[in-house]
Amino acid sequence: MKPMLSTDLNVAETAVEKAKIEVKNLNFYYGQSKALKDINLSLPERSVTAFIGPSGCGKSTLLRVLNRIYELYPKQSAEGQVLLDGKNILDRSQDLNLLRTKIGMVFQKPTPFPMSIYENIAFGVRLYEKISKAEMDNRVEQALKRAALWNEVKDKLNASGLSLSGGQQQRLCIARTVAVKPEVILLDEPASALDPLSTAKIEELIDELQADYTIVIVTHNMQQAARVSRQTAFMYLGELVEFDRTEKIFTSPREKRTQDYITGRFG
Amino acid sequence: MAHTVASFDEDLRQISQLIRDMGDLAGSMVGASTKALLNSDNAMAQRVVSDDAIMDARQRELDDRAITLIAKRQPMADDLRSVVGAIRMAGDLERIGDLAKNIAKRVGSVGVSAAPRDLSHSIDSMAQLVLIQVQGVIEEYTAGDAAALAKLRNDDERIDVKYTSVFRELLTYMMEDPRNITACTHLLFCAKNLERIGDHVTNIAENAYYVLTGTQLPANRPKQDETAMSAPAA
Repeated sequence: MKPMLSTDLNVAETAVEKAKIEVKNLNFYYGQSKALKDINLSLPERSVTAFIGPSGCGKSTLLRVLNRIYELYPKQSAEGQVLLDGKNILDRSQDLNLLRTKIGMVFQKPTPFPMSIYENIAFGVRLYEKISKAEMDNRVEQALKRAALWNEVKDKLNASGLSLSGGQQQRLCIARTVAVKPEVILLDEPASALDPLSTAKIEELIDELQADYTIVIVTHNMQQAARVSRQTAFMYLGELVEFDRTEKIFTSPREKRTQDYITGRFG
Repeated sequence: MAHTVASFDEDLRQISQLIRDMGDLAGSMVGASTKALLNSDNAMAQRVVSDDAIMDARQRELDDRAITLIAKRQPMADDLRSVVGAIRMAGDLERIGDLAKNIAKRVGSVGVSAAPRDLSHSIDSMAQLVLIQVQGVIEEYTAGDAAALAKLRNDDERIDVKYTSVFRELLTYMMEDPRNITACTHLLFCAKNLERIGDHVTNIAENAYYVLTGTQLPANRPKQDETAMSAPAA
């Protein structure tokens, strides 16, 4: 089924916005089973897009296609196109390392490396760039500041990343992602393991980061999707059911399935 | 389709029940206040005044329930619209109660036989129009009939036209015989209150339409209350 796109208020808005990522006729398979069915959507640059839907709807799968992380697993395959600035990243010729510097990802559980806070950030940078100690110090500081963590860790940069609280670890992971200067940041349930205050900090951070990055967030928390995103995609059983401005989705969605899901009437 | 959490449905049901109760009460207050006015029935007028206290209490209860529901459930989409819409509709229903009470309070002042028969008839038929609107708006909302609500909103025009004619009629009576002035002035206020009730029904219809459809009715609708223009000239 083709998703219904709003043709009224957001036409002018989308017309002037540049699409950072365009997904075209995307199908995805776990072995024989089809997990994404003919997905078409366009993610505007420097803006937050949320994917919502019940477990198993394909939202995390779609996120995992956007940086081809699914290729780490056997028997998973994608067909169709995912255009990053017009270039198909599903193309065989795409350099995966280069792709992943452009498209960073943060996972549900904080995954700091078992090394110092400083090294957690410097490690990724060193893989791609050769820079002086002073430049690296500066890069680490900027990344930690960007992730709103600097003030809390500036006096203990040599402490283990694992010594931080869950919320701080998650912000460390965001700092690590930001440090390699990506263009797109994928967030897979970034706050679902965090307490409300840490969640608020992450949400505030997302709000700030969208000035510089294209952000895609998968979340089970619909209030969170409503708070942080500019546009929301509702997925169900591998289909993109509805994709529209976030305020439209949460006040008067077009599709009954969307309404039933976000109001808690599903199944 | 029912909510997965059944108590959420129960919370919403209680709120819409309160709206229906307030709508019924508003209808009976409007009917009773005009009847009391035209029959100079002080006891009936007194009942309208005491009904207004019940109306106020219902509105406070609805506010409490709606705020609690928002805090507890974080409603979305149609649920959110219906809760916010209920708060606003309750505000209009409460104002309708106030206006009916105002009409009732004038019953003593208008006097026993001051209202000439055909004048009573004009006010009565205006009151009937208003009553149909008050009762209709809650019925159509409960039935979920958006098209009927859009029509009902436009039907307020008929009340405005009626008000203009009552206004002119009252002026004529006052010019004919200055002894009519006191009674007619009170009746004029009553007619104005009925016209205002019609406007609140219009607000309710617009809110109800938004709750049901998620879209707003166009801002402009036909306006026929010409008294503002004709008053200085008359």
